[in-house]
Amino acid sequence: MPSIANQLTPDQISIIEAPLDAKIFLEGHAGTGKTTVGVERILTLLEAGIPGNQMLLLVPQRTLAAPYYEALRSPTTTAGGAVTVLTIGGLAKRMVELFWPLISAEAGFANPNRPPTFLTLETAQYNMAHLVRPLLDQGFFESITIERNRLYSQILDNLSKAAVVGFPHTEISQKLKSAWSGEPGQAHIYDDAQHCANLFRTYCLEHNLLDFSLQIEVFRNHLWPAPVCHEYLLENYRHLVADNVEENAPVTHDLLQAWLPELESGLLIHDLEAGYRRFTGADPQTMYELKDYCDQQVTFSESFSASDEVLNFGYAIAQSLLPEDESGPFKIDDVPFPIHHSPLDSTRYYPQMLDWIVEQIALLIEDGVPPGEIVVLSSYLSDALRFSLTERLDELGIPTYSHRPSRSLREEPATQTLLTLAALAHPHWGLPPSKFDLAYAFIQAIAGLDLVRAQLLTDIVYQKRNGRLSPFDQIKPETQERITYKLGNLYEKLRLWLDAYIQEPPEELDHFFNRLFGEMLSQPGFGFHADYDAGEVTANLIESVRKFRWAVGESLEAEGIPLGKEYLQMVDDGVIAAQYLYRWQTQIEDAVFLAPAYTFLMRNRSVEYQFWLDIGSRGWYERIRQPLTHPYVLSRHWDLHRPWTDADEYDASRDSLHRLVLGLIRRCRRGIFLGLSELGEQGYEHKGLLLKAIDRALRSAGKEE
Amino acid sequence: MTEIRSPMSDFTPRPAQQAVLEYPGGTMGISAVPGSGKTWTLSALAAQIILEGTLTENQEILIVTLTNSAVDHFATRIEGFLRDQEGRPLLPYYRVRTLHGLAHDIVRERPELAGLDSNFQIIDEREANAIRDEVANTWLRTNPHTLDEYLDPELDEGRRDWVRRDQLPDLVKGIALSFIRTAKDMQRTPDTLRRQLDDLPLPLPLAEMGAAMYSDYQRSLAYRGAVDFDDLIRLALQALHTDDDLLGRLQEMWPFILEDEAQDSSHLQEEILRLLAGSNGNWVRVGDPNQAIYESFTTADPKYLREFMAQADLPRELPNSGRSTRSVINLANYLIDWTQREHPVLEVRNALDVPYIEPTPEGDPQPNPADAPEGIHLVETKFSPDGEIQTVADSIERWLEEHPDETVAVLAPRNTRGFALNDELRRREIETVDSLLRSSSSTRFTAGALGNILQYLADPGSPGKLARVYRVWRRADRGDSDLWKQVQATAKILQSCRHVEDFLRPGPERDWLEYLREQDIPGDELDQLEGFRLVLSRWLKTIELPIDQMILTLSQELFTKPNDLAIAHKLAVLLRRARNMHPEWHLPELTGELAVIAKNERRFLGFSEDDTGFDPDKHKGKVVIATVHKAKGLEWDRVYLMSVNNYDFPSGMEYDSYIPEKWFIRDNLNLEAETLAQLEAAFSRDAYEWYAEGRPTYEARMEYVRERLRLLYVGITRAKRDLIITWNAGRKGNQQPAIPLVALQSYWKQNGEVRE
Repeated sequence: MPSIANQLTPDQISIIEAPLDAKIFLEGHAGTGKTTVGVERILTLLEAGIPGNQMLLLVPQRTLAAPYYEALRSPTTTAGGAVTVLTIGGLAKRMVELFWPLISAEAGFANPNRPPTFLTLETAQYNMAHLVRPLLDQGFFESITIERNRLYSQILDNLSKAAVVGFPHTEISQKLKSAWSGEPGQAHIYDDAQHCANLFRTYCLEHNLLDFSLQIEVFRNHLWPAPVCHEYLLENYRHLVADNVEENAPVTHDLLQAWLPELESGLLIHDLEAGYRRFTGADPQTMYELKDYCDQQVTFSESFSASDEVLNFGYAIAQSLLPEDESGPFKIDDVPFPIHHSPLDSTRYYPQMLDWIVEQIALLIEDGVPPGEIVVLSSYLSDALRFSLTERLDELGIPTYSHRPSRSLREEPATQTLLTLAALAHPHWGLPPSKFDLAYAFIQAIAGLDLVRAQLLTDIVYQKRNGRLSPFDQIKPETQERITYKLGNLYEKLRLWLDAYIQEPPEELDHFFNRLFGEMLSQPGFGFHADYDAGEVTANLIESVRKFRWAVGESLEAEGIPLGKEYLQMVDDGVIAAQYLYRWQTQIEDAVFLAPAYTFLMRNRSVEYQFWLDIGSRGWYERIRQPLTHPYVLSRHWDLHRPWTDADEYDASRDSLHRLVLGLIRRCRRGIFLGLSELGEQGYEHKGLLLKAIDRALRSAGKEE
Repeated sequence: MTEIRSPMSDFTPRPAQQAVLEYPGGTMGISAVPGSGKTWTLSALAAQIILEGTLTENQEILIVTLTNSAVDHFATRIEGFLRDQEGRPLLPYYRVRTLHGLAHDIVRERPELAGLDSNFQIIDEREANAIRDEVANTWLRTNPHTLDEYLDPELDEGRRDWVRRDQLPDLVKGIALSFIRTAKDMQRTPDTLRRQLDDLPLPLPLAEMGAAMYSDYQRSLAYRGAVDFDDLIRLALQALHTDDDLLGRLQEMWPFILEDEAQDSSHLQEEILRLLAGSNGNWVRVGDPNQAIYESFTTADPKYLREFMAQADLPRELPNSGRSTRSVINLANYLIDWTQREHPVLEVRNALDVPYIEPTPEGDPQPNPADAPEGIHLVETKFSPDGEIQTVADSIERWLEEHPDETVAVLAPRNTRGFALNDELRRREIETVDSLLRSSSSTRFTAGALGNILQYLADPGSPGKLARVYRVWRRADRGDSDLWKQVQATAKILQSCRHVEDFLRPGPERDWLEYLREQDIPGDELDQLEGFRLVLSRWLKTIELPIDQMILTLSQELFTKPNDLAIAHKLAVLLRRARNMHPEWHLPELTGELAVIAKNERRFLGFSEDDTGFDPDKHKGKVVIATVHKAKGLEWDRVYLMSVNNYDFPSGMEYDSYIPEKWFIRDNLNLEAETLAQLEAAFSRDAYEWYAEGRPTYEARMEYVRERLRLLYVGITRAKRDLIITWNAGRKGNQQPAIPLVALQSYWKQNGEVRE
């Protein structure tokens, strides 16, 4: 048994060591040791000789599996085959892959004998754009104001909602329209959205394309009921642990209902008052029905994570948010609030608040708090905010990490260079790069070339009109000298390589990148030589192109459009963001974590100190407003014809803030720092619900540490 | 409301102010004369309501005003009243907003009701302009002869061609602006307008033109996922109309609405506030209908405030002003009187209205300056345009020498006249302040510094841009004139650097700095250049960063003031957004965008601390040059009003001409007014209100005459003691003194002039 065994409570032990055929529903607030039980239970099953590959760990999002991975990778863990860790989407995809020939015809795919293509969010968006763009020119969606890429993603979102909530995708518009409380004439946009969703679905079926929604629907409607597939699942997975079940959508809950009676053992873990992923369809209500399918229901109430003081502060906020809620918990009057806030009179501006935060973090670390015990949370982490904080902390030598890389792939200088050179190497695409872009690419590509010389060089050798580069030795000797012969020589090598490439028939874009990188850019004297980052970026770009080719290569070829050209244009259009999570695996280290509050919650860990940034912001509770979709209206519990009103909106805001605050304080052991500036990041004065609630809590307590 | 106490213990309100502070609730309309302390009174009222403690924790007083600087001003005033008061809450129990800010707040409550995505953009005035230009040009291209019937038939074909090419585009762009703005003010979408026009028995060709442009314009906005400032207001009202719950919640949140500068309120602003106030709401409006003056096309009209005052539960006046001498007050009051009783055109006699300005009562802490009739000069001389400038410049030159500690301003009806005088004064080495003409701001200054660097980075081989960056880098030395001269000299040397790379990244034997060392350059400056090279090499590296990180990195090196840093942060966020919207944009385009954002974002930013908060007292001994419009709310010891002739101040006489009536349009038609009238006619149910050509032109003329009378009134009331009014006969020598000026002159001769 691992060493934590002696720290476990009797309640925990009784679940961990329950009989091998026990089916248990465990609930409790964050920080009551539920996930520890989940991890230990799996280890116990392994120790009891159950092979790992007979166990399924189902999580709503992969980050939530982190504690399990950690334990399973530990050298002391009993060997016995790998435990399968999946999300519902992952399970669906795996099943579709396995049983495709069996159900492809029945599910309505036009070419059942050909293999399926799974769409990423990016390639789904690409296909959607392809279908919807002509409709926009016909006047679709004219009465709403929305960026095109957001429009495509909201239509996709509707399809996903239909799939995970479990209603036919053809009912999307009916549901949305019946809840519409705005100007009646405006409701037709939902018909437009429905039309596009239908079109997309038909297109997918015609071309064997499976976006997330179709993967789920095929799994649910065709694979699960198919005896072969069903048996396969039952044989392979005999034991189930499902953590954070409240973050799953109804279809997952339906599936668990059907599955539980047939499993040998099951442990369902419910984080009370969570349910943060509403926008993806999370439904705590349908989750509750699962209780009846377990033999044993256990509730944990003792908190290991939060201190009484911190909890007390959270309860005070909760109370002032929902004063009418009499179910508690309630604050205790004589327990002080362990909070600090930025000085009101000297933090008018946002960067001043950032300075204060950095100062406080530095003080904590000076006092011996490990950086990994500090999180900086905001409602929304803009790139500017992340960069500002990282830079400031960097200067003090304080390590940080963030939930995603600081830039999207397409913003990487290496990517831009590759794309520019690709355009140059394929003149028949008709996308000659601008002089600025080319000079920029030269700086990256040729080691030691500076901006001034790069521009001088580009001005002379490049003619945008025909997209060609002229030889270095045609430049006046005086100017050659200014650029220097050494750099000129490297330029010449690159030019000759490109020239030679142009003479030959064009290759696939990913192959082109491969060669450009391998034969030129990674060679000594060139910019990517011995540059690990550039290599990684190149690899990611190649992967993105490859996926794009798999998803749309065939249809583009049929239309006679060069894939590379299309890819470049889609990057320019923003349809392809080429956003990759890279290196996130290595980020679990002793560093200050900067993240949006919900991201922190989804990591399911507690820390000593939390910084809440810009507490006046509305982003702390406001859902993202989307004119074409609606997480509440499309949920399973919304009655058809009931309008979604301002009161509903307000209640939903308060409710989600309530959950958020309690979720955060239950993951905080020592203290909270409140960052507040008179003007927010955008220069607006903020007076959101959180700030008001804190203000009220402070005043009613009349105390503050 | 029960017991009233002054929120400021060391200040006793005047009786008229006290009457306002005794506000028991309901609607109150306050007519306030220039300098009557209306902002003070309104802030005091807000502070008093807060201190009475009747507001619950979820409630606020909503204060609506006109400009960002006024927003800050209010907040500072109210804070001043509340400071040191017991029971003061942590969070302010008030919200001060411009109309746009308020509309933004409302729309953000439920954006999807207005068909908006959470991250909808608000396009700035310049981008809106660019779209309108495009739309107008497209319309002209596809309808090259539609306006032919409006051209002056006297024009020969060659001339007509030239007009089509050269004159019509600007005219049509202007019409696009006013048409779209008006249609939005009428709450009409392109769609409803189209249907309406299709149903009409008679064609309205000008409205057709406007409708086509409006529809194109809105499509362009939707494509960008953006709305413009006018949409914001329209959509806010729409949200309040369609969502009773939202309205109810906001009414609950804002139990008191205080509105300043209400004379500049539009129909929509009034309707939004009326809805928010509710049927028995508490709504206080303060304004001075006599000061309703507008620089560009607007749907605002002082009639809304007048009508409100006539119906308010509590009509009040703030007639006392300690600003000016008795003589200046008399002149201003006479202008009201003359306009109402003697203006030769009956229809404009309502341009100005009582209350008259009254001096402050005895013992008032703000007593009027001692009377000085000798300070008034209503000059009768007929000057040429240049003669007027020379005369004013002579007068200022003489006066300044004797009054170095006083304030003086020259106010002109148009920018061009202001610049002309500015040039002359500078030629005479008289210090001038022309920032009001240039509408400079700290946002623009911060952005300007960043913009200069970005411009250089986009074109790093340019020695001229390099020199500019050097000046930006050394801008702290601007205050020291000797040092600054040196900076300028060094910048000039940089400008002569033929090969910038020899300075920045010199190859062997090519270091330009080494070359300079052999020249006769002061060692200090060489050291500075050395340091500059180092800084610049860091800045050059930033081009690898995404735009937002680039801006933040540069600003960390450039700025230390919190205000600058905050603006830079905001600019970074906005440029990032622009880049996301236009992924194909690179540094050169983003640099252009920076200038645009800088110009417009401040419309409802809180970064306006020293934006438009112009303080005349900071410029003693210098000459402030401004337009009368820009001088609103300001005061000087001595004021010159220039160009008060019948060109800039027409009076509805036979011989007057009007700037909006173009010479190439037949029958002196004001095409813009005609187009707007057709738009209104399209929705009119009254057969008698059907469009009749020429009538709208006449009405627009009358409105213009009224506005000019108020403009003159505002100009006069800027003076504390000395007031000099001059006029010129125009380029052709055929202009007359403005009729109201003649009236003032004859009044002054009889009643006030000091005979020497």
